[in-house]
Amino acid sequence: MPPAVASAGPPAALPDPDPVALREPAHQVCERAIGYWRTHALIGLTISLLIAIPVYLFVPGRPWWLGLLLLGWLLLNTVYAVVMPPLRYRIHRWELSPTAIHTRAGWLNTETRIAPLSRVQTVDSHQGALMRLFSLASLTVTTASAAGPITIAGLDAEEAKQLVATLTAITGASTGDAT
Amino acid sequence: MTLDPTQPEPTQPQPAQPAPPSGPAEVGWQRLDPRKLLTDPVKLLGQAAIPLIFVLLGVGSGESAFWLLATPALIGIAVLAGAVPWLTTWYRVTETQLQVRTGLLNKKQSTAPLDRVRSVDLEASLLHRVLGLRKVLIGTGVDTERIELDSVSAARAAELRGLLLTKSTVAGVDSGAPAGEPTAIQDPASPWAADASPAENPGREQELARFDLSWVRFAPFSLTRLVLVAGALGFLSQYYEELPFLNEETVNAAWRWVRGFAVALVITVMLLGALLTWVMIAVVGYLVQWWDLRLTREQGSLHLASGLLTTRAISVEEQRVRGIELTEPVLLRLVKGAELATLATGVGEGGSTSILPPCPREVALEVGSLVLEDPTPLGFALRPHGPKARRRAYLRHQWLTLGLAVGAATVTVLQRVLDDPDALGWLPGWLPWVLVAASAGFGVLVARSAYAHLGHALGPRHLVAGSGELTRVRTVLEREGIIGWVLTQSIFQRRVGLGTLIATTAAGDERVVLRDVPHAWAVALAHEATPGTLTPFLAPASP
Repeated sequence: MPPAVASAGPPAALPDPDPVALREPAHQVCERAIGYWRTHALIGLTISLLIAIPVYLFVPGRPWWLGLLLLGWLLLNTVYAVVMPPLRYRIHRWELSPTAIHTRAGWLNTETRIAPLSRVQTVDSHQGALMRLFSLASLTVTTASAAGPITIAGLDAEEAKQLVATLTAITGASTGDAT
Repeated sequence: MTLDPTQPEPTQPQPAQPAPPSGPAEVGWQRLDPRKLLTDPVKLLGQAAIPLIFVLLGVGSGESAFWLLATPALIGIAVLAGAVPWLTTWYRVTETQLQVRTGLLNKKQSTAPLDRVRSVDLEASLLHRVLGLRKVLIGTGVDTERIELDSVSAARAAELRGLLLTKSTVAGVDSGAPAGEPTAIQDPASPWAADASPAENPGREQELARFDLSWVRFAPFSLTRLVLVAGALGFLSQYYEELPFLNEETVNAAWRWVRGFAVALVITVMLLGALLTWVMIAVVGYLVQWWDLRLTREQGSLHLASGLLTTRAISVEEQRVRGIELTEPVLLRLVKGAELATLATGVGEGGSTSILPPCPREVALEVGSLVLEDPTPLGFALRPHGPKARRRAYLRHQWLTLGLAVGAATVTVLQRVLDDPDALGWLPGWLPWVLVAASAGFGVLVARSAYAHLGHALGPRHLVAGSGELTRVRTVLEREGIIGWVLTQSIFQRRVGLGTLIATTAAGDERVVLRDVPHAWAVALAHEATPGTLTPFLAPASP
């Protein structure tokens, strides 16, 4: 039987690692993405206005604060449509090395993801109708972990196509079941 | 993958072939055990029992002649229906595949390549056990659906399990497993590696844990079963309207009878009764699930067998076990108990398998160390995440207080302004503020506990994460099992330079979360834990 764990005293973990810093990923996404994100936000705003204004007008005996609420909400959405796209463009970056992929996304909250290409399982690209209008595409790389899909949104469509080809070539070469 | 209708079968092009194959190319097809003809009808009748009882209660005893005829008919139908699966199910193990054919009209062939077999579980209900039968469940790791062979004899089941697991291990080694498998990095100087390594004595069975009746004292302190009880009550409440004695009159009479006693006494008795019932349910449930537990290691797999009435035997390839999780819920911590689960890939839903019931903490630690083949990761002193993380823990747990305070302030203002006893006069002015204070106090307690549990450590082979609010959780993940990193920073975290580091993995919950790590530590930790992955993206060393 092995010795009792408690009697061994607290075992030492590895010493604290040396400080290193991550640089930001090398590439920005396509500049047209700003327009795309803004259009997307404005479409959402328009649709909700088309619903909210008639409802507001037809509510009988509407209280004074309902108008205030609507106005505040409108203001918030407008600020979102103005402020979010450039911020997002500044944050969204990506980089591919021969062995790994590194992305950063978000605008207020940010998310940095790194995965070794040897663990990549699928490479998908996606282009919605509005994205096609801006000739943009997004690319998603999945690993065997449900927590680990990596998406690069707002890539130039042509660039995305090349990237998919590159990734497929690299990941196709690795073996094992990537778990 | 298990469902592959396009798979060409050697004899399928010959339509004249009768359903049960017998040609020379079809050697080795086997039926399930004939005793299945007994178990299936009983199971069918059992499933219909609860609705039938209520129907009977509803119909009453007036039409007994009808039931005299109906009962044999029902049994007859059950026997016939039970025979169909036995007649139509065939299976065989070839050199490379396990093949199962089922179906009378809709034929279905499931195929599992032997090198993909990840787990082989044996289950036996009480009826199965009386008849010496086992149900074999084969997991292939690719999808959640498992191949099921219900009812083969116990001896055949054990043989099948041995065969499938041996072949999968052999095939797994042949197919060129990714470099740096865990066994390759064992520290040869460690007495643990020499004693416990499955590679050195592959045939010998090593016992890791065995059930101890004294563990049952921990059963009432584990509340996971309470959820099941609540679910069962919810299910039964569907039927309560059909109970003949439950009507308004009897309920009112019962209430008057209760009112005859002092209310305090009634409440005390009810609480005691509930407590006693809970202890009984917990103990019985614990025994039914965990009786005769044995955790062993053999041929590169972990085997877990337990159960009082229904027994189940689970086998997982050790290659697939990527780590363990030690959980100490707050109640269990009071009595120095803990639970243990393994994190494995490709074992179906959840990916984590409980391998120990609530049991003494020392036992859980020891078994955990044996499973990891390394006694150190469970004992590491965790590195706390620092004063900023502490402050965030305290702030994060006061959101409810903030909401309540806004509500309380609104109530107070409205009471002042309206001064109308009909509107909010019934509410004592102090009550909302007492709630606010209680919430604040509770938030502080939870925050203190959450920060005390927070931490991380890195061992030569493992990443260790401490988490949990009231429950203390320690997750140990093999560094080999990490398949990527996510570092998220909310706007609040960005302000104070913290981040949440997530190691993604295919095992268990598929993520190990280190909350509120200082950003620089997180990067350094990820770099150290998976050497090389971050290297291309590191900033040049600043002076």
